[in-house]
Amino acid sequence: MHEEVAAYALGVLDEEDIEAFERHLDGCESCRRELKEFAEVPGQLDELKHLPSASEDDPPRSMSR
Amino acid sequence: MCPVLSHLDGRFESADAEAEHRIAVLYQEFGGPLLRHIRKSTGNDLQWAEDVVQETIVRAWRNSARLQWEPSLIWAWLLTVARRIVIDGRRRRSVRPHEVEPPEVDMLAVPDGSERALSAIVVAEALRSLSEEHREVIEQTYLRDRTISEAAEILGIPPGTVKSRLYYGIRALREHLRDKGVAG
Repeated sequence: MHEEVAAYALGVLDEEDIEAFERHLDGCESCRRELKEFAEVPGQLDELKHLPSASEDDPPRSMSR
Repeated sequence: MCPVLSHLDGRFESADAEAEHRIAVLYQEFGGPLLRHIRKSTGNDLQWAEDVVQETIVRAWRNSARLQWEPSLIWAWLLTVARRIVIDGRRRRSVRPHEVEPPEVDMLAVPDGSERALSAIVVAEALRSLSEEHREVIEQTYLRDRTISEAAEILGIPPGTVKSRLYYGIRALREHLRDKGVAG
């Protein structure tokens, strides 16, 4: 159950598992601590969505030599 | 002390008045920061972000037991609620975030001290530093708006394995970012 905290924090836990995890959270101090820590992660991963799709590593096909 | 819950008892003539007050306090406490966070994941669509914040606050209000938590935990919980609403909305719209016009640079600035401005490059590096198994589950879940069971099906591994890899992957990602001096 503890490991679900990452999926929960990212909002990707399946709907049917959310309630059980939240009940677990009510009594689990370590999950509460990790939830607070992981709460930053989605915002950090969202930064990736601002990466231009054409990076130096990965030029669009039409531009390849 | 939690301002959300302070001085609520016995001051209201009706349940409606109390509910209204409680929602107003939630907005006041969390509305602005939530909007700033959510705006990033809505591709800077302000109207959509405002709708998400509104729905998040209403769901929070219905769940008064959780509002007994300390504010930092309420905040973390509200973010998870908001993320799910965004993901559901994105699916309905079938809009991929990277197909949205990139936001103005000044919109990416994070004005409050609760979150540091991170460059996408640093996060991309952190992701690349992970093992293939860890990176894969982060990509197949959060970055593609998929739930655990959907990612499990695509990857051909049990949901429990996805959850476990995601947990250790996120921890490794946090450690990498912390080493770079960009996370908690």
